[in-house]
Amino acid sequence: MTKKIFAIIIAVVISFAFVISASADTYMHVADNANKLSLSEHEELENIAIKLENTYGICVMICIADETTGMYDDAYAEWIYTGNTDNENGILLLHNDGENTYAVFTSGNVDEIFDDEAIAEMRDAYDLNDSYYGGIYDYYQLAEEYLEDGYYGNGNSDNEPVITTGETEEKDGVSFIWLPVSLGIGMLVAFLIINSIASKNKSVHMQENATVYTRPGSVIITGSADNFLYSNVEKKEKPKQENKN
Amino acid sequence: MSAILEQKCPCCGGAVEFDSGVQKLKCPYCDTEFEITDMPQETDEINWSSQGSQWAAGETDGMNVYACNSCGGEIVADSTTGATECPYCGNQVVMKSQFSGALRPDLVIPFKLDKKAAKEALKKHISTKKFVPKSFLEDNRLEEIKGVYVPHWIFTCDAVGNANYKAKKVKKWSDSNYDYTETSYFDIYRSGNISFDNIPVDGSTKMPDDLMESVEPFDLSQAVDFNTAYLAGYLADKYDVTAEQSMPRANERIRQSIIDSFKDTVKGYDDVENQSANMNVANGFYKYALYPVWLLNTKWNGETFTFAMNGQTGKFVGNIPTDKKAVTKATLLLGAGLGAVIYGLLWLIELL
Repeated sequence: MTKKIFAIIIAVVISFAFVISASADTYMHVADNANKLSLSEHEELENIAIKLENTYGICVMICIADETTGMYDDAYAEWIYTGNTDNENGILLLHNDGENTYAVFTSGNVDEIFDDEAIAEMRDAYDLNDSYYGGIYDYYQLAEEYLEDGYYGNGNSDNEPVITTGETEEKDGVSFIWLPVSLGIGMLVAFLIINSIASKNKSVHMQENATVYTRPGSVIITGSADNFLYSNVEKKEKPKQENKN
Repeated sequence: MSAILEQKCPCCGGAVEFDSGVQKLKCPYCDTEFEITDMPQETDEINWSSQGSQWAAGETDGMNVYACNSCGGEIVADSTTGATECPYCGNQVVMKSQFSGALRPDLVIPFKLDKKAAKEALKKHISTKKFVPKSFLEDNRLEEIKGVYVPHWIFTCDAVGNANYKAKKVKKWSDSNYDYTETSYFDIYRSGNISFDNIPVDGSTKMPDDLMESVEPFDLSQAVDFNTAYLAGYLADKYDVTAEQSMPRANERIRQSIIDSFKDTVKGYDDVENQSANMNVANGFYKYALYPVWLLNTKWNGETFTFAMNGQTGKFVGNIPTDKKAVTKATLLLGAGLGAVIYGLLWLIELL
């Protein structure tokens, strides 16, 4: 019985850890809140967006929504962007399908690449296509052109992204080095728990004192003194927080 | 010359026993019950002299030989046995000489719980423990169960003492760059008085001291004046550790009680450690009492395990073997489970 319980615990925890690690890499670039895309279309467009982000370090997002839950389009666009990525550099085009309005949210240092003219062209590319899939595909094609211009226009070569600050961090999760450490700690705690339980099999021991035979109310303190002797102050430098960027 | 005493039923002449359920003497043959005070303390005495022709010189050292009043059979018992059973006719006999004169106990706590209760307590004791070898649960055999009046010296006194402690207070605070920990040390002194009533010390070398102290406490308010009738049906020993020899153990417990009780008055510190203690005992006196204990012996793998139950309160003690393989297995399984949980939590912290 105990064996089964532990096996289940281990399975659940390990599965949970892997599910979390897997889901961490799958945040949404194409937020199809209006359900206009098929699964395969969505996946294909998502891959294009991921490729752009990995190549240029900039998150290019698009969101199609039926309604914005009472929020202004600008605020909704920002909410969707920040809720889906922690990349500080990026752009999101919001299409409020219900109202047929548009909003653009930009984050970080992308204004030089996506200026007003570029944004207008990308919005038109999306708008002029008859299908949602085609519109988004054109949007990403145009975005790639602007990103490429910005990349080489800034004199970059090789594979350096246009903007290096705030680039997307790939969360690798916890190193496997921590696995034996965790197991070691687990074993130590288990040893203490199990031995504490097993020690209850020994119930024969000498009594330490005779407190149980103290006459009730007979403990009278006639003298007491609390004298300060000395004190030590230890100063320990705080660990500095590492800047992930 | 030794004399033995048998409590005989006035109705049928059978040997009566003390019944812990009704707290009276009861004849197992005709079921007649008698008050302890109704039974005569003096019965026929048979004086017996050692037959030198049968025992070699020194052969009877450390043992006494009695003749059973009922069947005349020869009862050989060690020098401390005070009550036993005739091996021939099964009559319960009390060696009167073991409890006469200076050897007479002042008090006796009568058995409140019977043999059946002791057997059930053993069963419960074993079944509630973890990591007990399966074979012990299945194969251990109850070899012997006996109710024994164990001789105890009980000490009452007023103690005056003082104790010194080293105490420390820990204070922590931080600023933007550093964490600070200030540890302040104090010398603490306490003096005072404590009175103790009836601290028991095992007066028999045959009984393991740790086993006897483990079944404590006994409620001495239920003790009665000694009467040999209470011994009927049980085994009893006279003391072979004198009161003077028992005093150091009583003093040791009193000293530790002073340290612990005074320590309870030291408040407001993070850690308190005793450094020294002194004590004097005044108005001390002691009594000799017989305490009721059920002893149970079980055998497993050729080893004898002794359990004891307080015959008054039912407190049951006894060491049980531990299945080391099961402990190792449980440690590994739990350790792996905890390790996985810790690793999972690290993932959560890292990713969320």
